[in-house]
Amino acid sequence: MNINKSNPLLLHPLNKWMKKKKWSWFPHQIETFHHVRTGSDVVVFAPTGAGKTLTGFINPIDDLIKLKKFKGLHTLYISPLKSLANDIVRNLEKPIKELDLNISFQVRTGDITPYKKQKQKQNPPNIIITTPESLALLNSYENAKEFFHNLKYIIIDEIHTFLDNKRADLLSLNIERLQTFSPNLQRIGLSATLKNKQDAKKWLCRKKPKIISYENSVLPKIKILETKERIPWSGHMATYSINEIYKEIMKSKLTIIFVNTRAQAEYMFKNLWLINKKKLKIAVHHGSLEKNLRLKVENNLSKGLVDCVVATSSLELGLDYGDVEKIIQVGAPKGINRLLQRVGRSNHNLNTPSKAILIPTNRFEFIEAKAAIEEIKNNNLDKIDLKEGSFDVVAQHIFATACSGQFDISDLYKEIIKAYPYKKLKLNDFKQLINLIQDGGYVLKNYDQFKRIFQLRENKNIYKLVNRRETRKYRMNVGTIIENPMLRIKLGTKTLGNIEEVFIQNLSQGDSFIFAGQVLEFQSMKNNLVQVKRSKSLISKIPSYSGGRMPLSTNLANSVRTLLAKSNMRDLYPDQITEWLKRQKNISKIPKKDEYLVEQFPRKKNFYTVIYTFAGWHANQTLGFLLLRGFKEFNYKPLGFVANDYAIVLWSLKEVKEIKKILNIGLLDKHLDNYLEETSIVKRLFRDNAIISCLIERRLPGMEKTGKQVLFSSDLIYTVLKKNEPDHILLKSSYEDAKKNMIDYNRLREILKKIDKKIILKKLTSISPLAVPIILEINRENLSKKETDEYILEDLENEILKEANVLSIN
Amino acid sequence: MYYQLINFGDEEFYAYPNKSLYWKRLNTLIVSDLHIGKSISYAKNKQFLPPYDTKEILNELFVSLDEIKPSNLIIVGDLLHDIFSTLSLKDQDHKNISQYMENTDFIWIKGNHDKNIQIEGFKNFTNYEIDKFLFTHIPIETPLFQICGHYHPKVKIVHRGKTIFKTSFVHNEKIFILPSFGILTGGLDINSKEISDVLGKKNLNIYPVGQDKVYKL
Repeated sequence: MNINKSNPLLLHPLNKWMKKKKWSWFPHQIETFHHVRTGSDVVVFAPTGAGKTLTGFINPIDDLIKLKKFKGLHTLYISPLKSLANDIVRNLEKPIKELDLNISFQVRTGDITPYKKQKQKQNPPNIIITTPESLALLNSYENAKEFFHNLKYIIIDEIHTFLDNKRADLLSLNIERLQTFSPNLQRIGLSATLKNKQDAKKWLCRKKPKIISYENSVLPKIKILETKERIPWSGHMATYSINEIYKEIMKSKLTIIFVNTRAQAEYMFKNLWLINKKKLKIAVHHGSLEKNLRLKVENNLSKGLVDCVVATSSLELGLDYGDVEKIIQVGAPKGINRLLQRVGRSNHNLNTPSKAILIPTNRFEFIEAKAAIEEIKNNNLDKIDLKEGSFDVVAQHIFATACSGQFDISDLYKEIIKAYPYKKLKLNDFKQLINLIQDGGYVLKNYDQFKRIFQLRENKNIYKLVNRRETRKYRMNVGTIIENPMLRIKLGTKTLGNIEEVFIQNLSQGDSFIFAGQVLEFQSMKNNLVQVKRSKSLISKIPSYSGGRMPLSTNLANSVRTLLAKSNMRDLYPDQITEWLKRQKNISKIPKKDEYLVEQFPRKKNFYTVIYTFAGWHANQTLGFLLLRGFKEFNYKPLGFVANDYAIVLWSLKEVKEIKKILNIGLLDKHLDNYLEETSIVKRLFRDNAIISCLIERRLPGMEKTGKQVLFSSDLIYTVLKKNEPDHILLKSSYEDAKKNMIDYNRLREILKKIDKKIILKKLTSISPLAVPIILEINRENLSKKETDEYILEDLENEILKEANVLSIN
Repeated sequence: MYYQLINFGDEEFYAYPNKSLYWKRLNTLIVSDLHIGKSISYAKNKQFLPPYDTKEILNELFVSLDEIKPSNLIIVGDLLHDIFSTLSLKDQDHKNISQYMENTDFIWIKGNHDKNIQIEGFKNFTNYEIDKFLFTHIPIETPLFQICGHYHPKVKIVHRGKTIFKTSFVHNEKIFILPSFGILTGGLDINSKEISDVLGKKNLNIYPVGQDKVYKL
C-alpha cells in the first residue's frame, strides 16, 4: 500500500504495459499524474527520450478507463506539425492496442479527407490529435460549443515552439474559447528545457499553476572540427572543410548535417556528391521540397537506409530517428536552444550522450561555436521572449467567432483578455478590430450596405454574420503562416517542390540552378508552374530563400563577448584564430565584455567606421540605417553600410569626427519612424496583416490567387491607406509587428541606452584584423526599394542612350 | 509637369507620369481605365479595400485639368468599375465635374466595365474619330491609328540581376495603349498573350512610368 502511495502510477492502466516493456515510470510522470489529478494546469519540461508524449496522456487515459465507455470528445492534443501529429497517433496506438483499452483516437489535420472530417464531427473519438489551425477551424463551426462541452484536457506538445509568434497568439485565443465552452478544462503543456519556465507557465496555466521539470544529467559531447585547412575570414559555405566532413560521415553509421539555410543545404549536398567516391547514400531535406520527397527521406532515415542527410530546421522537431549517431552543424549555431535541439536529434537514449561536431564557416563563427559549447556545459539556455499578441490574429479570431454563431462583444472581449498575449489589449483597439471585420474599419463610412457582420437592432452588443457564405471565406483563409510567393517546380510531370517567385523572375530560359540536389535547366513558366529539365551544366545558381536568416541570440552574443575578452587564447583556439586575435590586440583592441569597440580608418578614397555591437543582424541592420541618417545630418556624406550578426561597417566621403554625438539613444527616437517609412519593412508586414486579418483573401473559393497578385494589391492598399488614414488599426498593427520582429527594437534600445559611456574609439591608419570579415561582406547596394526602381530605370535608359549615340556616330 | 514626348501616327503626344496623355495640337487630354469605385464594388463581395480611390482618382484628374486646361477630355473606357461605382460619387464630386465641364468637353468612350452606365453631362460614345485617329476601348479592325486602353500594360524589366514591373505606355506602329489611371488597378505584362495578340512582340515602343518621370526603353 505504501508503495502505491508513493507511486500512484503503479495502479495506472498503463502500468502493465510499462512492465511488459521493462520500462519504469519517470519522476516527472509521477508528479504530473498527481498534480493534474488534483486539478492543476501544468507545464512539463523534459528532454527528448524522457517519455514526454506518454506523460501528456497519463491522466486522460486513466480518466477514460475509469469513466468506462465515455462517449464523445474528452481530450485534445495539439502538435506544432502535421507530420508530428501522425507520429503521436502511432505512439498512442501501441499501448492502447496492446492493452485492448476501450479508447478511441483520431488525427485531424488539413491532410485528412472532408468525408472523414464530417464523420468525425458527427461521431467524435475520445481523443483528437490536431494542429492549432485545425483547432481554430473546429472552433468556427456552428456546433463548436456542443462538440467541446465535455472536453476535459488540452495537451500542448512542444509548447516552447509556440511561445513567441503569431501561431501562439492564435492558439492562446482558441484555448480560451475552449475554456468558455468547457469550464472544467485542464491544460497540460509539454516542453523542451527552457530558461524562463515561469513565462511558459504564465502563458498556459490558469488553475493551480504548476511547473514540473526533469533535467538530464548526461551532457552532450560537442566539439569543433579540428581542421588542417585554413578557416576563411568570411563566407558561409564551409567549402574548406568538405573533405573533412566527408571523412566524418564515413566514420559514423548515420549522420545528419544541419545547415542554416536552404541554399546552404543545396550547396553542401552538391559538394558532397562531387567527392562521393565511396558511393555513400546521401540525401537532402528542406521545407521547400515536395512533401513526398521529404517523406521518402524521413522514411529512409528512420529505417537507416541512408548514410547521411543534409537538412535545415525542417528536421529539427519531432520524429524519433533512433539510429542517428552523429550531428554535424555547419555554420554558426545562432542560439543555444537551437543547437541543443539539433544535437538532441542524435541518440535518443537518455543515458548515453549525443554526439555533435560544429563546423564554423568563418572566423567569427569559430568563436561563436566555442561560446555555444561553453554555455551548454554551464546549462545556460536562451530565454524565449514572450511578446504582446498581434492585432491581426484577434481580427481573424473575431471572424471565426462570428462564423460559429452570433456573439456578445463584451463577452468576447473578456474572454480574449484572459489569453496571456492579450492581457493588455485595449477595449478601444478591440472595437476597431470588430469594425475591421465588419466593413474594413475605415473612418469614411462608405460600406454601410455591404457589412460582413452587423449589430442586432434589439441588442447593440450582439453581432451576427450577414450570411453563411462568409464562413467559407474564413475557412479558406485561416492560419497565421504566410509564405512568400512560391512557384511549383515540375520536372516532366513530377513536382519537385516550391521555389520563390523572385528567384525565378531573375532567370532566363536555359539558365541552370540547383534544386532538390539536382542541376536543372529553366525552360518556361506558365500558370505558376515552372517547367524544368535536367541539365549537365557545371555553372549553376543556388536559389535564394529570404527569411531564413536567424539572428544571433542575446544570450549567445553575451557569451561570445565574454569569450572574446579572455586572454588565454592559446588554450581556447587553434593557432590561426589565436594569430588573428593577437594581431587585432596589437593593432587595435579586443573589447572587454561590456565595451563597444568602434574603429575608424581611411581606406581607398573613403572613410570607414566599424562598430562591434554583437547585437544580431536584425538590430545591426536597423542601427546601420539609423546611423546612415545620423551621418547625413552631420554632413559626413555617408555612402553605405553593411551589417552582420557581430558588427556594422559604414563608409563615408568625410571623416566621421563626432561618433559619440550620433551613436546614442537619441538616434532611435529621431530617425526610427523615417526609417520604417522608407524601407519596405512595414509594407511587407502590412501584406501579412491584411491577409491574416482577412481584409484581403489569400485564396478565393475555386481559384488560387497567385502570390504576385496578393503582393501587388496589398501594396496599393497600403499606399492609399497610409495617405488617407494613417491611424488605421492595420497600419498600427504592422508597425508594432515591425518593432517586435523585424528590427529587434527592444534589443537595440537596451544597447543604445548605455552605449555612449562604453564606446572605445580606436583611430587607425588602416583596416584592423577584426574588421576584415565584415569589409569582405561589402557587396550590396543599400538603396531603398523605391530608389532601386528609379535607379534601374535610369541606368537602363542611360545605357540605351549610349548605345544609340554610338550607332549614330558610326 | 515633366513629360515624355512620344511620336505616334505623325503626331506629337506628351506622356505624363500621372498616366495621362496629352495631344497638344488639339489641346486634348486622354486618360484610360480609371475604374472609379472599384473599392465599393469589391465591398459588395466583402473585400473591404480603402474607400479612398474615387477621391484620389478625381483629385489627380482635376489637377491635370487645372494645369492643362484642355478643350477636350477623352476617356478611352472603363471610367467606372461597375454599376455600384456610382454609389461612390458624392454630390460634391458631381458638382466639381460639372464645373470642369464648363470649359472642357468630356468624351466618354464606353469600356467593357461601364457599357450601360450613364452620368449626367458626359457625352457617350462606343468609339470616337478625329482626323486619322480612332479612340476606342479595345482595338478593332480599321486602317486608322488607334488609341485605346483596357489592358493596363506593365513591363517587366530585368537589369543587373534585379527584376521590376512598371506600368507603361506602349505602342506599335498603329496601336497605342494607355496605362490605367486608377489606383487600385493591377497590370498585365506586355509580353502576355492578350497584349501580344494586339500589338505583336516586335517593334514595340515602351515607356515605363516612374515616380516623377516617364522613361523610354
